[in-house]
Amino acid sequence: MNTPRLSHSAALILKALSLGYCFGLDVMEVTGLPSGTVYPALRRLERDELVESRWEPEEEATAKQRPARRYYEVTREGKTAALAATQRYPLLAHLVPEKRS
Amino acid sequence: MSHQPPAPLPLFDRNLLCIVERVVPFAEREEWSRAWRAEFWHMHHRSRSHRIQTLSVVTDLSIGLIWDALWLRTDSWRRTLSGTATLCISSLLGLSLLSTLIALVLTGGWHSLSPYLSDHFNLSLLAAPLVVFVAFATASRRHIEQGSTNNRLYWIKRQLFFAVKISQVLLLAFLLSADLCQPIHTALPNTADFLQVLCFVIFALVGLRWALRDQEQRCKQCVQSLATPMRVGRPSHNLLEWNGTELNCKQGHGLLSVPEMETSWCQSSQWVDLDPSWEQAASV
Repeated sequence: MNTPRLSHSAALILKALSLGYCFGLDVMEVTGLPSGTVYPALRRLERDELVESRWEPEEEATAKQRPARRYYEVTREGKTAALAATQRYPLLAHLVPEKRS
Repeated sequence: MSHQPPAPLPLFDRNLLCIVERVVPFAEREEWSRAWRAEFWHMHHRSRSHRIQTLSVVTDLSIGLIWDALWLRTDSWRRTLSGTATLCISSLLGLSLLSTLIALVLTGGWHSLSPYLSDHFNLSLLAAPLVVFVAFATASRRHIEQGSTNNRLYWIKRQLFFAVKISQVLLLAFLLSADLCQPIHTALPNTADFLQVLCFVIFALVGLRWALRDQEQRCKQCVQSLATPMRVGRPSHNLLEWNGTELNCKQGHGLLSVPEMETSWCQSSQWVDLDPSWEQAASV
């Protein structure tokens, strides 16, 4: 399968997602990219099946008295693309710190 | 333990969401609105805990919200219009308008452009039938065998679209040649006139070849571009069995089989109408 060639911003977002930042706002904060870049890029990545989105369970959110959020996960193809992007842009690995649980 | 509903969003955010959600396609509106309400809610609560100024974050997130809605809208248009006859004709029309605008800018106004265009239009009009004849005669167009139904209405629709497309291509070729040659017309009028005709002929030939190829690879019913080209067979089997490419209609109307090589038993491309059940499958 051909690995899709990603733009620098898309690669940075994919890298952030693969490191455990799974919400749009988290990705914005950790990458420093404006929201006008992050959210449409997430849509494109989802359309290209590099990421998939899910809704947080409603009960979990209600228990914490907050609305359920949509979170993103990297697919198997996305992981391959993220690896290829890190090889293409070696500095990516240093730009995004791993998420502390 | 009782669970309270989350606190409502500020008035500005709610109004912004209500306004922008009209841009989002109806089918995706509810989910979009839910996702953004959650993002805004978390942004406000996170900012409060981090004690940072929310104004810049709200502004940034509002821009993201608008871009996200616009992306969904344009993506929906892309999915609806991609490969349609409407998109093809409107793209050609848009390019013609752009060429006219460039010519207007180059000449400085309609008063000086109008006589120039009318002088050269007649010359191009004379050359056009010849160019069309040469394009048709030299095109490596394969005969397409109609597999089953030969609906007269579909045939009229196809020919009408083809006629409009060819007219648009010729108009565009004329306008582009005018854009290129008009700037040198004042200094070298004879050379500019000759170049204008030459450019028109070249652009028209290239455009018409594209139009013919595009017409071949469209559905014979809905005139949409055929998609998902798939190689079938092997080159080594060329003399024994089918070897070529199959293109499908996205609506499931039919498929076009294009042989890789013309053989005595398979000289032409073949259009095969599919069973109506394929249309249901395609819509899913």
